[in-house]
This record gives sequence, structure tokens and C-alpha cells, in this order.
Amino acid sequence: MIKSPNVVRQLKHVSRITSQISSKRLLSTSPILRHQDKKTSTSQDEMDHFNQLASTWWDVNGPQRILHKMNLLRMDFIQSTLRENIPLNEGVLNKEEEIYVPGYSLDLLPEQIRNAIVHEQESKRDQVISQMPKYKILDIGCGGGILTESLARLPTVESVKGIDLSTDVLEAAKLHKALDPALTDKISYQLMPIEDISKSEKYDIITMFEMLEHVNFPSEVLGSALSHLKPNGWLFISTINRDFISWFTTIFMGEYVLNIVPKGTHHLEKYINESEVQDWFKEKPQFEVVKSEGCMYLPFKGWVYSGNASVGNYFMAIRRVK
Amino acid sequence: MSLILKRTLATAAETLTKTPIEPKLVDVLIVGGGPAGLTLTAGLKNSKIAKELKISVIEGFNLSSVKTFHDETPSNFSNRVSSLTPQSIKYLQKIGAWNHIKEERVQPYDGIVVTEGISDATLNFDSPELATMCENVNLQSSLYQRIKELQGQETNEEFGLEIKDNTKVIEITKDPFNQWPIVHLDNGETYKTRLLVGADGFNSPVRKFSGIQSHGWFYKRFGVVSTLTLEYSPFRSIGWQRFLPTGPIALLPMPGNQATLVWSQTIELSELLSKTEPELFVQLVNGAFILSDADMQYYYGQIRKGKTEGLIEDIKWRISKVQKHLTEDQIEDQYPVLATSVEPRSIARFPLRLSHAETYVADRIALVGDAAHTTHPLAGQGLNMGQGDVQSLVKAIEKGMQRGLDIGNTLVLEPYWAERFPVNHLLLGVVDKLHKLYSFSNAPVVALRSFGVNALNSLSFVKDFMVSKVSGNK
Repeated sequence: MIKSPNVVRQLKHVSRITSQISSKRLLSTSPILRHQDKKTSTSQDEMDHFNQLASTWWDVNGPQRILHKMNLLRMDFIQSTLRENIPLNEGVLNKEEEIYVPGYSLDLLPEQIRNAIVHEQESKRDQVISQMPKYKILDIGCGGGILTESLARLPTVESVKGIDLSTDVLEAAKLHKALDPALTDKISYQLMPIEDISKSEKYDIITMFEMLEHVNFPSEVLGSALSHLKPNGWLFISTINRDFISWFTTIFMGEYVLNIVPKGTHHLEKYINESEVQDWFKEKPQFEVVKSEGCMYLPFKGWVYSGNASVGNYFMAIRRVK
Repeated sequence: MSLILKRTLATAAETLTKTPIEPKLVDVLIVGGGPAGLTLTAGLKNSKIAKELKISVIEGFNLSSVKTFHDETPSNFSNRVSSLTPQSIKYLQKIGAWNHIKEERVQPYDGIVVTEGISDATLNFDSPELATMCENVNLQSSLYQRIKELQGQETNEEFGLEIKDNTKVIEITKDPFNQWPIVHLDNGETYKTRLLVGADGFNSPVRKFSGIQSHGWFYKRFGVVSTLTLEYSPFRSIGWQRFLPTGPIALLPMPGNQATLVWSQTIELSELLSKTEPELFVQLVNGAFILSDADMQYYYGQIRKGKTEGLIEDIKWRISKVQKHLTEDQIEDQYPVLATSVEPRSIARFPLRLSHAETYVADRIALVGDAAHTTHPLAGQGLNMGQGDVQSLVKAIEKGMQRGLDIGNTLVLEPYWAERFPVNHLLLGVVDKLHKLYSFSNAPVVALRSFGVNALNSLSFVKDFMVSKVSGNK
């Protein structure tokens, strides 16, 4: 099972790991903020690493298979969050037309009644969605465009702009986009950091998946992203808790033992705890963390919600409320 | 000079062979307008999520009998009849097709009496609405009518669907740029598709193009089918199946005094039977349910020698001899109502095979129904397996579209295969073992088998479990 000496080397570094976990990566007061540098920019070796992966990015049976699989759960997370938060009774004038939304769990009701209520709510959601303006989306750290393409294919989406800093990977994204005629008018890719996006550009949805753990200044990046969010707009992020389990699953098992994640993809010291993000947003009343879900990869099953956002990987949905 | 000339000529030749028109672009191209292909079409067009997909259905044969069935219903029953499980019907109801079925032409049945040809051990399966007999054309027509209903006043272009019959696939190639399948038709048209579905039967051209291997064997048996008229309408709506050394014979109820026959026979005897004069054929069917194998072998021998004179009377006499000692109730319990005539043009035969494709999906390819698997008809599962496939594939496509994926991507299609392959594999295996178990005629095997069958018959909970598995209830 354990094939390479790298595995042994990784194991020997457990003490270093412990120090990486305990040293805080505080988002708001990070001393690295003082550096005057491109905020989204990652180190040169991270860029080289992703450039090497460009050619196989879209091979669903290749080195990025686990990322393709993760994209399925990302989309489920985004879609269910958007759907759950559609106001059902906005603008309804009389009580008669109101859709019943009980203040308790529907599971308490008999099956037939529950099904009827769910059916009524779902039909109303479909109706509201069909009348809503379509979403304009910004995908930060779009990589080869796995999430970008998925978002662009949704009938509720008008356009997606994907930005990244890795030239080769972005090239792979452009080449792959050209293969599907349905995407031509919906996606634009640009090589640029978030800071370079014009201040006037506003989006309904901004996504940063598997991205914060690769940047040097996460709080700056988050701040820049939020400045482009329309009122009631959504920010979806995902990253990895800085703990022993994350190291064990994403680096030790993923990269060194099972070889399902390309080596050098992750750096433990750059992981961000879910509580750190929660704390950061507590100081910003114009935003609300609506949903936070831990997730994990099960071999033979794919990605599933783990039920605990403070361990391993997690997804988060944040909404601009003011 | 000559070099230049040659070069020019070569370019000219190249441009000439290129397809002059751009292929038509669709999302789903379904090869095959049979029950599986049409259920898939109706399933997708009925789906809130998938209805916007642009679909083309290509069928090699003429679909006019399907298109006219609803308004100009023929008086005779077709010989292509299938047993639909409650689960299949539930799905047809869900997608709105069952409303368009000609209900007076379908026959639900509550049980099946399975007997053993050598020892007469009996197994009774009873369950309200165990399954429903339905002509394939009736099913196809209901799906076709449902599709028309969904289309309403929209043009084919607006609705995103066209059904082309009398059109054969001559070649499938790949677009060198984005690897999408390009389907070349015998009318000169070409289609480029995001997802190519093979609902094109046992010899599936789509399966061959995709390089998916299929394994299995020919049972060295043919199924002889026909539509029979019985002496009177049976009081109970049940099916009859008798396992003979040559294979099972089954008589399943149709409305009124009609019944449909599926008789698994050796290659030679199936040919002999299909050429036999109708009156004798009817008596041979009656005999096969009542008389001993030795008697039947004698009759086959006589027919081979061309000595058919007096055989009809002989069979009738032997049947009456067997039934003489039984009360009317006993006859009713043990044997089907005697057949009196056969619709002569309905006698046909088809080869019985087991086959199972290694996978049902590849990049931009999905196989459903007989293209993915064929089975012995003894459990009446063939068409239902295809219905199960379609149900699962529609679900996978819906899920993929909700996730914004390209529906030709294997990540979308893999769950369909993962869900259906084990279920189908189990059914194919069980049916195959049953066929083999009943092919033995040496005494110890027959004794054990009969003991097992009689024991099973008294264990109702085991039978209930088997019925639930076969009828597709939970």
C-alpha cells in the first residue's frame, strides 16, 4: 500500500504538522497582510504545479477525477442553497394565495400531507425561478473551468466570468469550452487577479472553490470578492480546516498513499479553519453565513456531506443582507 | 507541371468526398423507436428538468402501425405481447403514457401456475395484479400519443423532437474536433449528438460502434409465439407455464377468450411447429400442457415423417383420457382452458439468447434495453428490464442537468450503469439457472427438483418474496 519514500517523509513530519495546525491563520489580523504584493497571487511553485496539470485537467478518469467528483457535490450545495432561499410568499397580497411553510419539520406530518406540501412549495419555487432575472456569476480561481462550465449550463444563469492566475490551466479551460457549442456565449475566461476587476462590476453569485487554501492573503481576497457582490447576492466558498484529519485525508492519504490527488496540490499551513471564517464574518454585519457543510470523500461513493463543518473540507454559503 | 496538376486533382477529389452539409446538432440521438426508445423519449420530454433537450429518434422500420393504432385499432391481437410488471406500469403512469393505453386490449393477471413436465410438481404464484399482458404496439402507441400530447401545438423545431422511421443508421463516426458521435443515415443526412443512446436491440450498431463488449450465448432454443382462441373465457385471469425437457411452454391471458403463447423449443422443432397446419398446431399446444413428454415425442416423430393424418383426433382422445378421471374443478385447477384455434399469421419464432454488455455507458454513449441485455422469456422480464433502464437513465440525466454537467459525460452516465447492471445481472442469472435446472430430464435431478418445488410451494413467505422480486414491488 505505502509505495514511496515520500510517505515515510510525510509521516516523519508529524511534529511540524502539529505546529502548522496550532499556528493560527487569522483571517482578519494576519501579519502577512502588510506585504505589498498581488493579493491573490500564489507562490511560483504553486503556479508551476497547476500548469503541469493543465493537459489532464478535463480527463474525468485522470489525475483530477476526485475534483470532478467533488464538483458534483459543489453543484448540489449551490443549487440547494439557492432553491431553499427563494422567498415563496413575497408580494403575495392575500392569505389565500400564500404557500404554507410550517415552522416545524415536515417529517412530523403524515406522508400524503407532507408530499402535498412539498409539491406545492416546489411548484411555487419553479414558478418564481422562471420569473427571476438570470444570474451573473464570477468564478474566482476557476482553474480548468470544471465549476465554471457547470454553472454556465444551468438554465438560470446568464453568464459566468472565470478568472485564474495559471496561464496553462486557463488555456486548458478555453480549449475545453470551445468543444461545447452551448457554452460559447455564456463563459468568458480572463487571466487576472481579483483586485484587477473593475470596481463597477457586480455579480449575483461569486464562487471561490478550493481556492482560499492556495492564496497567500485570504482575507484580502475575500474582501475584494465581497466588494463585487450585489445586494442579496451569494458568495460560495470552500476550503479545508487546518487539522490533523485534513492533513491525513487530503495530503497523506490523497497525495501520497492512494495517489488520487496530484502531489504538491496542498499545503497544510495554508488551510483555514471554518471557525476562522465564521469569526471573520461576525465583524461584518452586511453579510450572513447562511449555510456551512463539512464534506468528505468516500472511495466507491464519491463526495458526501460529513455533518461536521469544522473537520476536513467544508463548503460555505454567504449572503449580502444589506 | 505534372506535379502541380496532380496536386490540384488530389485537392479536388478531397473536397468532393467531404460531406457537403453540416451535420444537424442534437442533444440526444436515440437509435431505435421500440418500447425502450419511445419510453426514453416520453420520459425526457415529460421531465421538468430535461424537456428542453433536443431529441431525435431514428427507427429503421416503419412506425405507421404505431402511429395509427390509436385511431384505427386493428381487430386482431398482435403476436408481440409482453408482460408488464406493476413497477413498469407505475412509471408509464408517472410519465402520463398509461392514460393513452387501449385498456380493453390489456389483461392483468393475478397468478401463474408453474408445473413440471415430467413429475407434475406444481408451484402456484398468486398476487393481485402480478403483471399485465400488453401488446408491444399498444405500449408504443400510448407512448407516441403521450409525446404528441406533450408537443401540443408546437412545431417539431419548437418542441425539440423529431421521430424518423424507415431510416437506417449506416455508419457512426467521431467528430475529430470534439469527439462527439456523428451518425450517418441511409437518406444521406448526418447528425452530431451530445449523447448517443442505443435502444437498437440485440444487434445494436451503437454498441458495436462504441466498442463495448457483450457476452452470452444462444440457448439453442427458439421461442414460438402465437395468438390463440380458447374454448371459453377463463374464470380466473392467470398464466400457465409448464417446464418441458425442451424448454418451458407458457400460455398467458389476453382479454376475453384470447391468449398468447410463448413456447421455447429446439431449433428443429420450432421450425417444424411454425410450418405445421393451424389445427394441428392448436392441438399440439393443448397436448404440451397435458400429455407426457413421451406422447409429444411420438407426435413430433409422426410430423417429421409427414404422417399427420389422424393426429388431431389422437391428441384429443389422449387428452380426454387424462382428464376423464378428474372432476371439472380439478381440470380447472390443473390445466389451462383448451385452445380451439390460432390466428394463422400470428405463428412466429425468434432465437432465445442470453447476453449482457460489459458496461452500458461510454463517453457520450448509453445503451438501454436489448442493446444492453437479452434474456430467456420464461420469467417475462425482457421488456421490463428495458423499462427499468430507461427510468434510471432519465433520473441520471436529470441529476446531471441539475448539476450543470454535459449529459454525454461519463460522470453523468455512470450512476445509471451502477444502478442497473447489478439488478439486470441478477435477473439474467436467475432466469438462466431456471432454464438450465429445468433442462435436465434424468431421474435424480427431476426428483430433487420436484421435491424442491413442492416444498417451495408450501412456503408462502418465500414465494411472496419471489413474487415481489419478479413483479418489481418493493
